[in-house]
Amino acid sequence: MSDTPLLKVENLKTQFFTEAGTVRAVDGVSFTVERGEIVGLVGESGAGKSVAVRSILRLIDSPGHIVGGEITFDGKTVVGFEDEPGTDGEPTRREEMLTNTEMRSQIRGSEIALIFQDPMESLNPVFTVGGQLRELIELNRGLSKQAARDRAIEILREVGIPQPAERFDDYPHQFSGGMRQRVLIAMALGCEPKLIVADEPTTALDVTVEGQILDLVYDLQDKYDASFLWVTHDMGIVAEICDRVNVMYLGEVVERASVDDLFYNPQHPYTEALLNSIPRPDQSTEDLQPLEGAMPEPINPPSGCRFHDRCPEAREVCQRTHPDLRTVTEAGQYAACLKHDAFEAAYETSRPLTDESPAAGGDRRE
Amino acid sequence: MSLPRYVARRLGQSVFTLLGVVTITFLLVNAAPGDPVRIFIGPSADASAIAAMRAQFGLDQPIHIRYIKYLMNVVQGDLGQSINYRVPVTQKILERLPATLLLVASSFTFAIITAVPIGVLSAQRRNQLSDHVFRIFGLIGVSTPSFWIGLLLIIILTYHLGLLPATGLVMPWAPPSAVDHATTRLDVLYQSGIHLIMPTLTLGTLQMAAIMRIERSSMLEVLNQEYVSLARAFGVSERTILRKHAFRNAQLPVLTVIGLNLTTALGGSVLTETVFSINGIGTLIITGVNARDYPLVLGTTLFYASLFVIGVLITDILYAYLDPRISYGDES
Ligand SMILES: Nc1ncnc2c1ncn2[C@@H]1O[C@H](COP(=O)(O)OP(=O)(O)OP(=O)(O)O)[C@@H](O)[C@H]1O
Ligand code: SF4
Ligand SMILES: [Mg+2]
Repeated sequence: MSDTPLLKVENLKTQFFTEAGTVRAVDGVSFTVERGEIVGLVGESGAGKSVAVRSILRLIDSPGHIVGGEITFDGKTVVGFEDEPGTDGEPTRREEMLTNTEMRSQIRGSEIALIFQDPMESLNPVFTVGGQLRELIELNRGLSKQAARDRAIEILREVGIPQPAERFDDYPHQFSGGMRQRVLIAMALGCEPKLIVADEPTTALDVTVEGQILDLVYDLQDKYDASFLWVTHDMGIVAEICDRVNVMYLGEVVERASVDDLFYNPQHPYTEALLNSIPRPDQSTEDLQPLEGAMPEPINPPSGCRFHDRCPEAREVCQRTHPDLRTVTEAGQYAACLKHDAFEAAYETSRPLTDESPAAGGDRRE
Repeated sequence: MSLPRYVARRLGQSVFTLLGVVTITFLLVNAAPGDPVRIFIGPSADASAIAAMRAQFGLDQPIHIRYIKYLMNVVQGDLGQSINYRVPVTQKILERLPATLLLVASSFTFAIITAVPIGVLSAQRRNQLSDHVFRIFGLIGVSTPSFWIGLLLIIILTYHLGLLPATGLVMPWAPPSAVDHATTRLDVLYQSGIHLIMPTLTLGTLQMAAIMRIERSSMLEVLNQEYVSLARAFGVSERTILRKHAFRNAQLPVLTVIGLNLTTALGGSVLTETVFSINGIGTLIITGVNARDYPLVLGTTLFYASLFVIGVLITDILYAYLDPRISYGDES
């Protein structure tokens, strides 16, 4: 069992059925998290990162639905559909797929815990901080009230809350943003799950506090032997804590690599663009090339390669052919870009889209 | 700030509110056409009798003197003599108060115990059939005048079906000998109950609809909060989320609506009391106005204003109790 990944997401599709049309927020995403690993999920705002991680916990609210794919976690089928849709055209759940009750009692909190993004909104203002933490530990670890309380105080100390026993009965508004984020981390750790999913937990914090929180997570990961799925749009954070990275663009994973490969040898133009847009010590600010244009809406994604209207290397073939994620290097790096030989897409002979073509979205190279 | 100090300060502030109420009412009553003495004695009275009575009630003095005298009496807890009833106004209020309180208490108990669960259920089943039905009901409830509901109930339940009595209230603590069709304590309670049903529905329907609507929207808002998503993500059951994580937060706006409605409903009971011929404070005010009974009108108005002030204060205190972010008067 231990040679299978802890979490395996295959071809996950999550869509929102809105009045304006179907939003393909997550459109065939695959990735894995091995035991003891920190895996990054990066991409611009709206790429579908939050929808993807919430799908793992089956926490998608109407009008959203998981419409396809498979998610297995530690031998359990979180999402699994029959190949053939049912008579009503809806996907049919496979027998071994966990029920909603099983999701709640066996997975959420106890096996997979989510660290929420917004420390200001994620704690209930009318209950004490300690009480909220205690309740979740009690529920997910099956401890008595008193034992859960002791554990809660201990874990508050570990995440760096000074005088945790005294602060236990304080209300959220008496805590600063950074402190509240530590509480959210304490909630996840205190439930001792096998996987912790962090959805941009430091975005709302200032840089110093962010640094402290990242150090903390790094230390505690060892101690608790937890695996992490870390969602961020910040390549700096990826470099700091991740082992492997999945880059998402418009509902798809477009590149997957180890952190070193990704930073030193990116295989997808979008990854390159992301890397070029962050300041680095070995580059002057003139070298910075922020990615131009905005990511299109997933409601009506561009044809072919979804990145083609912003891609500096786009060619005509990219408008027609949709690249899937494939192994593109000897080292086993994955990318979804037609320029690689693995796609046999006649990219080399295709006419470039930049400059001369209006479909290229303007001239971005002088 | 401690709770007793907060209450003391708020009550201190309300003295000015009440002073304003007294002043305005005093001027209004005096500006209204009609003379209480002429109304009381009748059109055929002779001039000397009228003059004597005017002197007795101090009506022969200039208005500012009367105003100051009135204020000084009020400070000592004396609301004056009713011209119409010839008894102290306080006595008349105390005599009529139980009926009004019983009516208001019964209406709000009915409104709250029905509206809160329905509002929660409606929010939980958002956009399902039951939610739509409750919402339409709520809309009708808030937009139907209460006297109309009262008249409709009387026509159907009393005249056509003969099920319920249409006039008066029976106090549940009244002695059996003083109540029609009653020989035992149980009979009294029964009579009290059947007399209360229609007035309760009349006054309570609007309240129920209003509370239901605010409960629903407030629950919906709370259920969309991030901390509810967090509870869900950590495996807390929907039931616990509804009862514990969402319910308390959602009651804050509900509490405000109940608090304010409760105090205005005291005044609103005037219509209900009139429709069902209930001898409460509402009908007392009407009598006072018709008779130009200045002391009675002033006294009842002041009494209502005090209840209102206390009601708002209690609402604020409860609010601070429910929401730890609010502390008593920290803004100073
Ligand atoms: N409830 C919803 N209804 C309709 N569309 C939705 C809903 N939730 C998310 N989406 C759409 O799904 C897409 C992906 O959203 P998601 O929140 O996953 O992005 P993200 O990558 O997490 O971005 P961010 O960095 O801003 O958090 C977006 O286009 C968004 O508009
Ligand atoms: S497939 Fe074409 S458009 Fe897409 S990333 Fe590769 S080069 Fe750019
Ligand atoms: Mg997000």
